[in-house]
Amino acid sequence: MTRRLAGLVLVAALAGCGTVQDKDHSKLVAAQVRSVLIVPVMNRSVDVTAPDYFLSTVPVPVAERGYYVFPVNLVKRLLEDDGLADPGLVHAADPARLASIFGADAVLYVTIERWDAKWVLVSTSVTVEFSYVLWDGRIGETLWAERQSMNYTSGDGGGGLLGAIIGAAITKAAPNYMPLARRANGTALAFPGPGFPAGPFHPEHGRDWSPPQGAALASASPAQAPAAPSTAPSPPRVIPAAASGSPATPATVPAASSR
Amino acid sequence: MARATWGALCGVALVASGCAPGTMYHWNGYDDVLYHHYRNPQDREGFVESLRRMVLDADERGLRTPPGVAAELGYALYEEGRPQDAIPWFDRERQQWPESQLLMSKMIRNAQLRAGGKAGPAPATTTGPAGATEGIR
Repeated sequence: MTRRLAGLVLVAALAGCGTVQDKDHSKLVAAQVRSVLIVPVMNRSVDVTAPDYFLSTVPVPVAERGYYVFPVNLVKRLLEDDGLADPGLVHAADPARLASIFGADAVLYVTIERWDAKWVLVSTSVTVEFSYVLWDGRIGETLWAERQSMNYTSGDGGGGLLGAIIGAAITKAAPNYMPLARRANGTALAFPGPGFPAGPFHPEHGRDWSPPQGAALASASPAQAPAAPSTAPSPPRVIPAAASGSPATPATVPAASSR
Repeated sequence: MARATWGALCGVALVASGCAPGTMYHWNGYDDVLYHHYRNPQDREGFVESLRRMVLDADERGLRTPPGVAAELGYALYEEGRPQDAIPWFDRERQQWPESQLLMSKMIRNAQLRAGGKAGPAPATTTGPAGATEGIR
């Protein structure tokens, strides 16, 4: 009994201090989401082409987690035709309404926080950062949130296969952000990891996640409910360049000679 | 740890490549097609053709088409002014994915209206051609 109590206290303490290393997916699992409406991407970067380009990368990893994903281009066009061409308006619209109009269980809001490149001498440093919020259209609350940033600096050399793919895309004068963006999505949605537990179309559905002990009790406490859909911004993940490796400091070099 | 990292990298690489073994669906470059469409919006025929090829290729090989793709093809045809051709694709999406039932039924209804009502009043532009988002605000 005392041990159990101690366990609960420990769980509460862990949950309280905000370390979301092991994410509690009980809300998302309990919501039994089958379908996800991915709405157009909001842009906080200065690159006006970023939102549409980035939108194209989102459906694949979400669907691969076993959820029905509404046709993103169709959805985007319908919203535009209805006067919601500005994703800011879509993100500000009532999510429950959005979900009910399309018949979706949940709405995924993605925001581009960063999408930029710096040129220093011969190297190019590209950073992307995204925030993701999955909102339940029926119960009207956040089910899941994540923030992911990725940085790649060319000229570090090496980096394995993926480093090579991204590197080849980035060393050009006009960097192609897509491989980096895909990688950020892949990491944010990876499971095991911060991403979605398997949805109904995934063979692992119902088997790949079980609530931590005492979670039911812990989440019953109203003080536990994380109101804001914000997760602590994690520092940019620097893609390991080579085994020999440059120091793990974020490769955002002072842009003395950026062009 | 190293193994987990490697696994994650492989997973990302597979997802990134879009049509590699190990994915649940035969994506067949869906994300690239969308990306190309947003880069070159004027290439409308190419967009329709790429989507059609993706779906037919999956069918020929007996592979699962991912959610949304048949509907995207239907809508691309609809936007080309071919509502009659769009309907079977919306219907296919609805059959394959019951989750899309509500939206696809709206799309089919609108496509039917447009196909049959050429002589009648044009769909009200204020509610969008599909009317699916009617009264969203």
